[in-house]
Amino acid sequence: MNGEFLRIDEVGMRFGGLRALDGVSFDVERGTVLGLIGPNGSGKTTLMNVISGVYKPSAGSVRFKGTAIASLPSYEVCNIGIARTFQIVRPFANLTVLENVAVGSMFGRDRKPTHEAFERAEALLETVGLARVARRPASDLTIPDRKRLEVAKALALDPEVLLLDEVMAGLNATEVDEALELLRAVNARGVTLIVVEHLMKAIMAISRTIVVLVEGRKIAEGSPAEIAASPQVIEAYLGARFAQRQRQ
Amino acid sequence: MIGIAGNRVAILVAALAMLALLFVPLAKSDYTNALFRGILMYGAMSYGWNVIGGYTGYVSFGNVVFFGIGAYAAALLATHGITDIGLSIVAAMVAAALFAVVLGIPVLRLQGHYFGIATLSIALAAQDLISNIDAFGATNGLSPKAATLFGAAVPYVVTYYAMWVVCALALAGTYAVSRSRLGYALVAIRENEGAAAVLGINPTKYKVIAWAISGMMGGGAGAVFVYANSYIDPATAFAVDNNVFPIVMALLGGVGTVAGPLLGAFILTAINETLWNHFPFIHTLFFGAVIVIVVLFLPRGLLALIAARRSWSLYVQHLRAYRV
Amino acid sequence: MQLFFQDLVNGILTGGILALVALGFSLVWGIMNIINLAHGTFIMLGAYVTYQLFVSFHLDPFLCIPIAFVVLFALGYVTQLSIINYVVRAPVLTTFLLTFGLSLLLENVILLIWTGDTRSVTTGYSGAHLDVGGITIPLVKLLTLVIALAIGGLTQLWLARTKLGRAIRATSMDVGAAQLTGVRVAHVYAIVFALSAGLAGAAGSLISVSYAFSPSSATPFLIKGFIVCVLGGLGSVQGALVGGLVYGIVETFASQYIGAGYADAVALAVLLVILVFRPTGIMGRATA
Repeated sequence: MNGEFLRIDEVGMRFGGLRALDGVSFDVERGTVLGLIGPNGSGKTTLMNVISGVYKPSAGSVRFKGTAIASLPSYEVCNIGIARTFQIVRPFANLTVLENVAVGSMFGRDRKPTHEAFERAEALLETVGLARVARRPASDLTIPDRKRLEVAKALALDPEVLLLDEVMAGLNATEVDEALELLRAVNARGVTLIVVEHLMKAIMAISRTIVVLVEGRKIAEGSPAEIAASPQVIEAYLGARFAQRQRQ
Repeated sequence: MIGIAGNRVAILVAALAMLALLFVPLAKSDYTNALFRGILMYGAMSYGWNVIGGYTGYVSFGNVVFFGIGAYAAALLATHGITDIGLSIVAAMVAAALFAVVLGIPVLRLQGHYFGIATLSIALAAQDLISNIDAFGATNGLSPKAATLFGAAVPYVVTYYAMWVVCALALAGTYAVSRSRLGYALVAIRENEGAAAVLGINPTKYKVIAWAISGMMGGGAGAVFVYANSYIDPATAFAVDNNVFPIVMALLGGVGTVAGPLLGAFILTAINETLWNHFPFIHTLFFGAVIVIVVLFLPRGLLALIAARRSWSLYVQHLRAYRV
Repeated sequence: MQLFFQDLVNGILTGGILALVALGFSLVWGIMNIINLAHGTFIMLGAYVTYQLFVSFHLDPFLCIPIAFVVLFALGYVTQLSIINYVVRAPVLTTFLLTFGLSLLLENVILLIWTGDTRSVTTGYSGAHLDVGGITIPLVKLLTLVIALAIGGLTQLWLARTKLGRAIRATSMDVGAAQLTGVRVAHVYAIVFALSAGLAGAAGSLISVSYAFSPSSATPFLIKGFIVCVLGGLGSVQGALVGGLVYGIVETFASQYIGAGYADAVALAVLLVILVFRPTGIMGRATA
């Protein structure tokens, strides 16, 4: 046991009359890979936004290594070691790919001086497979490459926890395998991963624990095998009738 | 091209041009001195606008207040017997930077449209306030005595060199910013503030720093202007031209580059001077037209035009980009 | 107490014209997401057109309203199609600078034609006023308020009842969806911009009767229009009306108790106070 690492406690989020999250609680162990799944609109991205400080939750708390972080602005959340990617990628369009990553290295936990940041950025681009386009403006990148860039920028922050919001969407089978390879390597270096993904095969392959959200509520938590066998989850995903037929 | 400083050759040319400007007073012509002092003054102000408007992407229509504050800081010091021009520049920079910080904390929270209009109203309000305060000479203005340096009286030409120093500091400061973490933070904020924040950049902090630097450049120019002009009143300090010229110069030269503002200051002053001599009434009309044309056809300024080979097709392309 | 009610009445009278000043500005902002920095200059053009018609042909300034509307409508239509249309989807920096350049250009055209002198339109009935229980109501300002309200009402009806009006409202909600249902967005935008300019022209006509004006009056009106939008919300006639009245009253009381010389400073203070608490305005919505 390494004590409490990242704890999501009774987190609720309202947008006007809409309850996007409702009493969501779970723990994330240090060094694990936690998969976060659920149908569209179930609150996965909202939860990512709460953890990374983009939104302030309307209820509940998020604690990271004993510190309440729910009220911190996103740059401070980043500075204590929680990095994220965006589902809708946001590269700095007028900067080169290399500069995009170097900016991450200049800030975040490292706060490297510029020349060191560029060296580290070069190495990271090699890791994610973007070295060939390092000097092109980020606006030139294809969608899969933009996803890679998001990951590289987040890694440049040298995070303890990395939140990945659908980084594999739109990749082909080979690219998904490459991405999984990359994430495993990152995780092996001790970075805790929280992965939001629609691609079941990928999430089952990489996660140690899976949390299932439906309409803003946590309906299940367990190992990939447990989740795959859970009637509740099958019902939520594939509809009540399918679940019934399977039981028969 | 790597870096956010812009074309290296252009920066070198700008640096050489600055060195050459040191020799202008050798011509011993009051007209030439005044003309080139104008280039240096607007150059410094344009660098000031460029830090906040070009690098950080916060389009300020109120940067003239820094020039005004710098001018009044120097004039007030002079009415209290302090006429050292070096000290005046420093005091003006400090005053403008302080004002930028105090005002920036609320105003820089505003984005896009809101920031632009807020700064526009700051420019009006500042003129309003100073016109009503007797200590600032109200609408009558202030007339400081001639400048001194280290306690000794100095010839008038020192105002030229002082302006040169302010502009050189602005150029060097911009170059330093573009090579630093600060510069990358500003550009990241310009490109996408939300994405910058999740990379650990505190947007408010860096925006306020940028505006303070911006203020120092304009404030320094204002201090020297007071001694060059030997008179300041609200209408002169907050003149529309002082607000517009620096923006147009940065736009024309290239926003968010190190060489752009100085290049823009040269070209626009040259054109303006010609227009003044031949058509004294339409120079502002001309500036309006330049803004419209540059925004439509040369959004990255003349420097980009020089850099791009396939330039014309590029600009037609740009025209098509945002149409409905 | 007498003074209080007098100020209140003056504030409401000022508010009516401010609502009209803001209405066109609000339409372009709300529907096209463009802050038209030339709006104040459009208003001044309307005022000068009225002034010229009054001086040259002794035309009653209230009869000039439709003419000013039509002239500015045409100018707006041409401006949109030839210039603004190319930057409709561009970042704020671009549209901001472009309309700023446009305002400089037009302001100098005004300077060339009419010089920088302060002008006003003084008719035979300019001094007439009603006296209600000791409160003075200038006839011209009352008429101005009524006409401003009528123009606002007509605009509202037009937006709600006509096919083009509905197309405009559809475009403001979702450009893509409107396009799919066959709305010609470029045409809609041109009409919106033209209508906005036309309303500015009408506002200018009304301003010329009640206030002295010069080319440099453009910026204060622009800023007031902006503040009214921030107070009342974007793209709606009701919002402009509410915002206009609120700001008219605030401005009148401020000039009574703080001093008329501080009008611009008061405007800034109001703007900052609102925006600090609600960075995207009172009725604000997120804009990209």
